[in-house]
Amino acid sequence: MATAASDAALDCKRPALEESVLPALLEMRGIVKTYGAVCANRSVDLDVREGCVVGLLGENGSGKSTLMKVLFGMIRPDSGRILFQGRALAGHSPREAIAAGIGMIHQHFTLVEAMTVTENVMLGWAAAGAVLKPAEIAARIEATSRTYGLAVDPHAIVATLSFGLRQRVEIVKAILRGAKLLILDEPTSNLSPPEVAGLLGVIRRLREERHSVIFISHKLAEVIEICDEVVVLRDGAVSGRTPIAEATREGLARMMVERDLSAPVTRSARAPGQAVLAVEGLTRRDASGATRLSEIGFTVQAGEILAVAGVDGNGQADLLDTLAGILPAHSGRILLDGRDITRMSVRRRLAAGLAYIPIDRGGTSLVPGMTIADNLAMRDFDRPPLARGPLLDPGAMRARANERIAAFDIRAPHGDVQARTLSGGNQQKIVLAREIGRKPRLLLAFQPTWGLDPGAARFVIDQLLLLRDEGGAILYVSAELEEVLTLGDRIAVLSNGRLSSPEPRAEVDVTRIGLMMAGAA
Amino acid sequence: MKDPVALGPIELSASEAGAPDAGALFQRLGAHNGLRATGRAVVAVLLAFAVTAIPILISGKSPIAAYWALLHGAFGSFDHVAFALNKSTPYILTAVGVALCFRAQIINIGGEGQIAVGGLAASWVALNCGDLPSLLAIVLALAAGAVAGALWAGIAAVIRLTRGVHEVLSTLLLNFVGVLLVSEALNGAMGEAGAGFPQSPMFDEAVRLPTLFSGYDLHVGLIIALVVTGCAQFLLWRTRFGFQLRLLGGSRAAAAYAGVSFAGGVIGVMLLGGGLAGLAGGIEVLGVHYRLIEGFSLGFGFTGVAVALLAAANPLAVVPAGLFFGFLQAGALAMQREVGVPSSLVYVIQGFSIVFVLCAIGLDRRWQRV
Repeated sequence: MATAASDAALDCKRPALEESVLPALLEMRGIVKTYGAVCANRSVDLDVREGCVVGLLGENGSGKSTLMKVLFGMIRPDSGRILFQGRALAGHSPREAIAAGIGMIHQHFTLVEAMTVTENVMLGWAAAGAVLKPAEIAARIEATSRTYGLAVDPHAIVATLSFGLRQRVEIVKAILRGAKLLILDEPTSNLSPPEVAGLLGVIRRLREERHSVIFISHKLAEVIEICDEVVVLRDGAVSGRTPIAEATREGLARMMVERDLSAPVTRSARAPGQAVLAVEGLTRRDASGATRLSEIGFTVQAGEILAVAGVDGNGQADLLDTLAGILPAHSGRILLDGRDITRMSVRRRLAAGLAYIPIDRGGTSLVPGMTIADNLAMRDFDRPPLARGPLLDPGAMRARANERIAAFDIRAPHGDVQARTLSGGNQQKIVLAREIGRKPRLLLAFQPTWGLDPGAARFVIDQLLLLRDEGGAILYVSAELEEVLTLGDRIAVLSNGRLSSPEPRAEVDVTRIGLMMAGAA
Repeated sequence: MKDPVALGPIELSASEAGAPDAGALFQRLGAHNGLRATGRAVVAVLLAFAVTAIPILISGKSPIAAYWALLHGAFGSFDHVAFALNKSTPYILTAVGVALCFRAQIINIGGEGQIAVGGLAASWVALNCGDLPSLLAIVLALAAGAVAGALWAGIAAVIRLTRGVHEVLSTLLLNFVGVLLVSEALNGAMGEAGAGFPQSPMFDEAVRLPTLFSGYDLHVGLIIALVVTGCAQFLLWRTRFGFQLRLLGGSRAAAAYAGVSFAGGVIGVMLLGGGLAGLAGGIEVLGVHYRLIEGFSLGFGFTGVAVALLAAANPLAVVPAGLFFGFLQAGALAMQREVGVPSSLVYVIQGFSIVFVLCAIGLDRRWQRV
């Protein structure tokens, strides 16, 4: 079957997608998975043909992750069949999925930072043999990397590689292990615009070499650009399936959320107030002495959003953690409402009106194993009204939880539920409720929409704009150029530890910002 | 960790939909978390007894007779019960301290050294308190034990914070030092002249722990242990310090973000854990032996860790877990005497119980993660 259709499959170019000729690579039929009362997948069908890129869209909690975990053998479905290359997969483990030819690139990479690329590729790979032959593997990495335009150096230590390069190492790893089907889970989340373009090029090469790709993303533009067809999940069921030629952004968004999201973000025009945050000559070095922040200076005014664009690893986390008091500054001054807070502790900065939404929900802004009430109290637990002297006040904590659950529409019956049981969007609402709920003077927000579906992301953005309209100052740091342009009253770029001079949004040149994010200008 | 109340019934149906496994069994034991955890522990213990029956059979003895002797030895008379309760007391105290450390993800396995040093300090006070009133002398001696234990654990905390040496290593090594300090003292200044065995002279009647019922050996240490357990539970869930510990245990990054000091937490919880172990040492010498004896702390520290594990680091659960170990060991001697099964088999039961409980906890975690 595969030989007969191989010539036709090589012609798999959009939009001439002829369903009858391309051999099926993957058929998932009637996948059902329930978690108690929650039905994560209700009879989902998914087909992937050889040499095709299938976009998998859906809000958080729509069942995408569950479906992919079923496919990769991480969880077992209650019922349903999986046929891969004509062979039934049932009750398989991830190891068996890999052996069958399925590769999954997780959002969080599974690389050992202290090892080289070659060592990482050999790690846990039975086919590498009992006696390792690094030179041979390195040659294969180079060959593969050339074939797919990946440009990976087999001898580089992973710790020295950027996020985008690490992703490519994962792709090489999967291909060498014989992956016919690659599952890419939100692969563009942390990439700069040029890196995204590079990744899309790699995906095109994969398609030309007759690999298939399942591309999971929230970004409709990328899905439309790269995919051959799109499958949309909503509430655990397929709500739409369309060849890409017939897809529009609006149509896809509607299939995802069953409501129109096209209403533009509204923002009132307002004259900037006085400076709330003033930073002068802020410099920070890490433990190894490398400069992470170099002579950074800027102000954020009341009722203003300063949006800072930049790719991860260019000092964003250092900047925000230093402003929040988690990391020390080596020189420079930080003024909040004219008060010097450079040497203040995290707690005193909080009391001075500084709120912070870090990027990592999994273990920094939230503790998944703690209850909603505890998470809401996490940064205020040692002050009235949540504490009386050395004791906690459970009544006050419960009352605050109930009030915030209602005010921020957190989907949970009460505050005694573990945060881990909530969806990403609802978890972020807990963080927002805690940080915005105390009416801060200044909010530091680090990619607060990361990993959220459009509906939840919109909620976050609306909350930030509300805070701005009430006179709060916001420093918004993100790798998502579109969000930076939507939100920022003024816009700057942080690249390699240096901050460009902020420009009003009306005067911004998008191309130049993209280049600056990539460190090219 | 608090479980969502809603988890019980929801997961029940999930387990019925999937293949029946041990997790489902535990789920069915109760919808409420406390009940479920208890059921889990009971099943694990029963499994441990069942598996230990195999070596008993191999040695040609009847497991039923052996377990009957064990039961009789543990509960057969008020004397037996008193003996077992006294045995449980240091386990409970040490395990509560260890459990608090575990909650903060601090692995304090230095209970033995802390007990030894606590017993040493309490003995020194008991031998040198002169004519102080009885109650004051006892309180002073126990306090000295607690402080010594706390300082002993504090050494490990300081080394961790200043030199980055993991507390597993430092507390483990300090055990040897602590135990040898006791020997050193007993072979020197504190030893009983002409005893032929490294032990101190007997303490005065006035500094011995009072018993709860006249005519029986059961001393007030048990009451102290129970009160301390209640305090630890309150500390963990109802105080700012307890919240800090839970936050540190939940995520170091989240604790830093919340402005909770790692150093403060480590020092605080290590002093607390060491203090409780030191108190246990004091109670052991003042309530059981009435003198300091070489090797009196042997195995107590690790039993404390085992009890804390069996209780899944839950202070309230430490009480039944500690009693289980105490009664088991008390019954072991009877089992050996009457049936000829070596009492060391009791350690097999303990070991299996912990393995099974840990397996059950692991299952539970995996269940909750999805």
